[in-house]
Amino acid sequence: MLDFRPKVSVFVEQTGEAFQCALDESLLRGMLRLGRRGIPAGCVNGGCGVCKVRIVSGEVHQIGPISREHVSAEEEAAGYTLACRVAPKSPVRLQVVGKMEKPFQKGFARAADRDSHRVNEPRTGT
Amino acid sequence: MSGVMRIGHASLRVMDMAAALKHYQNVLGMKKTMEDKHGNVYLKCWDEWDKYSLILTPSDRAGLNHVAYKVEKDSDLDELKRKVEAYGIKTEMLPEGTLPSTGRMLKFNLPSGHEMRLYAHKEFVGTDVGSTNPDPWPDGLKGAGAHWLDHCLLMCELNPEKGINRVAENTKFMTEVLDFYLTEQVVVGPGGAIQAATWMARTTTPHDIAFVGGPRSGLHHIAFFLDEWNDVLKAADVMAKNKVKIDVTPQRHGITRGYTIYFFDPSGNRNETFAGLGYLAQRDRPVTTWTEDHLGSGIFYHTGELVPSFTEVYT
Repeated sequence: MLDFRPKVSVFVEQTGEAFQCALDESLLRGMLRLGRRGIPAGCVNGGCGVCKVRIVSGEVHQIGPISREHVSAEEEAAGYTLACRVAPKSPVRLQVVGKMEKPFQKGFARAADRDSHRVNEPRTGT
Repeated sequence: MSGVMRIGHASLRVMDMAAALKHYQNVLGMKKTMEDKHGNVYLKCWDEWDKYSLILTPSDRAGLNHVAYKVEKDSDLDELKRKVEAYGIKTEMLPEGTLPSTGRMLKFNLPSGHEMRLYAHKEFVGTDVGSTNPDPWPDGLKGAGAHWLDHCLLMCELNPEKGINRVAENTKFMTEVLDFYLTEQVVVGPGGAIQAATWMARTTTPHDIAFVGGPRSGLHHIAFFLDEWNDVLKAADVMAKNKVKIDVTPQRHGITRGYTIYFFDPSGNRNETFAGLGYLAQRDRPVTTWTEDHLGSGIFYHTGELVPSFTEVYT
């Protein structure tokens, strides 16, 4: 759509889906720009770690600092990185490693769920 | 004892100092007031009168180093040292000058592990409009033009299966030792037996600090005060202009009734700019309680829906 920047395909193993990412944007920005899902998105600035991925194949380059809290030097050497901080240089295949951490443990909601259906279900548009 | 007055400063780790400075100056509207020999940068908002309210420290990761609250009298520090230690928490009195322009600091860790510091003295520099016949706001404000650092929200470990509830432990400590009072809380689990989040005050605003339960300790956000709803909208415009990652667009909280916008600094530390004092917080005001089934409305009043990145992402 009216975006003629050179792009490559980014394939997410967990979802089996791919999206087109420009060479000058991070893998995560590329996904978010298209309104797509698959890689968890958090701060999009290298600090929170939820978009941690392992690059299975393809080449990427780092476009900003990555928190050592979330990617160790050993992990980095093994292909782990944050999707918000790397841009593709070639078609990429990746595995999602990061995840959201529930602030209120899942078990809490069970009892309340039986009485109310607001916690985990989106409201209908009425 | 007079005790804690308000939040004094937050010390944040940033991974790119140039980008962080640009953010806190151009988006929040803070001004750099000094830099120390370790490369730490100090900033303040225009309506603050002490030398700084934010310390940025260069690091390879994001997050909170410590949060500091200002007490009224220097002798409060000795009294609070005794009280904190009597409660069973170790303290250290850092000598004057440990931080530049700052008096001695009482340092200890909250039950959640977060480092807290109390101090009585910080160099007075005055607000940008002064104290004699002041204008309501100064010329040349940048970005959102935030008035002051207002509060912080700390994520605390909560694991009922293992019997761990640092939210409740922090709340008890803050009440019994630092004499904060509870304004609002979230209770979850059977019979609402688990205190999963609390908002506490020393001032007359709904919160000077908040604690929310999560899988690990961390910083959820530091928040800056704006006058009104229109300023929240303008702040969002500023963020769009500056390509700031907005986490939650302008809306209202059920909890505290605040008008709010959440966003991330260039290292992923969450910031909030908010307006609306909500109500006059008082020690005898009944505590507002939010139940698990209405948690969504408590956080985002209009949709009543939790935003995953907001509740599950922090540094």
